[in-house]
Amino acid sequence: MSRARFVIKNGLRNKRRTLLTILSIAFSLLLLTLMISVYRGFYIDQGTADSALRLITRHRVSLTFFLPSSYEQKIRAIPGVVDAVPMEWFGGIYKDDRPENFFAQMAVNPEELFSVYKDWKIPPDQLQAWIRDRAGAVVDRKLADKHRWKLGDRLTLQGTIFPVNPELTIRGIYETPVTADQGLYFNWTYVEEAVRWAKGQTGLFAILVDSPESVARIAAAIDDEFRNAPEPTKTESEKAFQLDFVSMLGNVKAFILSITLAVVFAILLVSANTMAMSIRERTREVALLKTLGFTPTGILTLFVAEAVALALVGGVLGVLAAKGLAKFVANSPAQMLADLTITFPTILVALLVAVLVGLLSAILPAYRASRLNIVDGLRHIG
Amino acid sequence: MTAVMEPPHATSSGKNIVQAREVTRIFKRDSFEVLALDRATLDIAEGEFLALMGPSGSGKTTLLNLIAAIDHPTSGELLVRGENAFLHSDKEIARWRNEHIGYVFQTFNLIPVLTAFENVELPLLLTHLSKAERKEHVLTALKLVGLEDRVDHLPKQLSGGQEQRVAIARALVTDPTLILADEPTGDLDSHSASEVLEILKRLNHDFHKTIVMVTHDPHAASFAHTIRHLEKGQLLPV
Repeated sequence: MSRARFVIKNGLRNKRRTLLTILSIAFSLLLLTLMISVYRGFYIDQGTADSALRLITRHRVSLTFFLPSSYEQKIRAIPGVVDAVPMEWFGGIYKDDRPENFFAQMAVNPEELFSVYKDWKIPPDQLQAWIRDRAGAVVDRKLADKHRWKLGDRLTLQGTIFPVNPELTIRGIYETPVTADQGLYFNWTYVEEAVRWAKGQTGLFAILVDSPESVARIAAAIDDEFRNAPEPTKTESEKAFQLDFVSMLGNVKAFILSITLAVVFAILLVSANTMAMSIRERTREVALLKTLGFTPTGILTLFVAEAVALALVGGVLGVLAAKGLAKFVANSPAQMLADLTITFPTILVALLVAVLVGLLSAILPAYRASRLNIVDGLRHIG
Repeated sequence: MTAVMEPPHATSSGKNIVQAREVTRIFKRDSFEVLALDRATLDIAEGEFLALMGPSGSGKTTLLNLIAAIDHPTSGELLVRGENAFLHSDKEIARWRNEHIGYVFQTFNLIPVLTAFENVELPLLLTHLSKAERKEHVLTALKLVGLEDRVDHLPKQLSGGQEQRVAIARALVTDPTLILADEPTGDLDSHSASEVLEILKRLNHDFHKTIVMVTHDPHAASFAHTIRHLEKGQLLPV
């Protein structure tokens, strides 16, 4: 028997309690891993290299205000701008308002969309078919798979912002590197022709720039260009624009951090309670071990190792569950979290938290046990 | 462990292995002071089998604990093998105890989740012996107490007598200088008690182990060479 085996045997002496503790830690670590991943996805990840070259220009006051389509030419004239495409959130209803039927619908200029979104892949013949058909639409592969759409299928959107119900034919299916980009794109002209007040307007511009170093300069140049115009602009990176959506939900950053702290504190209490009970029950055994010659440090190490092992098993289970859940979420209607991935650094952080929880939960009762007076310990009844 | 395998032919050397001089132990409980051991002076020769007798609270276990260095005297001097263990650090005392003391408790104190083999192996985890060497020592000790066929049994699968024999095997597996037994038959029926006492007698006689046994059973005490009585913390004259 090695000391490691002794630790394992001690950890398994009360199987039900050990199992419940491991499950508590696993569940907490699952939440923690998801929270870290959401936080990372929102605030740390900078997106793909292509995404880093894109800017979004919208109305300075609010996303709900339109910008003149004519801005496109002035934007294109700014040095460093490679391409630009006006886009408008259509926000229609497909079939009904159930969450599984919700997806992003954007009205755009078909000839420019894939010039700005170069990392999106569409077969050239499908792109040409879409450009030719004013009532055509292109959809993301995952969205097409989800609704079992294929080329030539027809679908109708019920307008909510714009008083028009586009009847569209799927002309292309494209692939994106980012799951959250899944959506349907159709020709803005369709809306412009049906809704008179929409003519010459757009919601935003997606802009492709020549290099990541130009991003800040061009964003400032665009906003300077329209600073004194009737419709002033706000230009930001694609990532920052996505975060604007997130911020509409409230102070998400504080929310995530507070949940994360609460989760860590909760597992610390659960684990500390278990270890305190477990060590107290073994007071006589601690006295015995000391009688046999175990040093205070040896006793401390045994208990801390047991707590860390317990927490680590819970941590591994939690991380595995989080990975499974992330996969499930990727296929759910909640597109905002569709790119939730559990990365290796996140796993490391979660397991490190598990180790720290094990260490902190056991250190005090284990220290007390290690300093136990042998005579008092042998007299202990419990 | 060769001493366990092959009984030495030498008998008591006459050399004192324990020398207690005016050893006093006072316990403080809140505002009360309890005089557990009062100026006890005692010599225990190497190879001796000594029984400490006396009523409850007379200081028998206190004296045993002091010899094992699991408690410290309030005053006086206590030497084991000519060495005062209390001059050392906690870590050194623990190592010293592992090397020189084998302790047998009244309530066996086996770890319930470990098998007989693993319980006996516990003190050897603190040594530098290899796994194979540890196995050899453990099997030898278990064979000596007649439990070589119970190595994989958990304590709950053993009778009280068998549990105490495992505890004795654990006490002698490191081949200690001293075996200290605190009421080793106190929780046993008469048959099991006799088995345990026979083992202790054999360890003393055949393997020249120095044994100090606390008991208030005259029958158990009759197995010892020497009987010393304690009363109200005082060691009575021989």
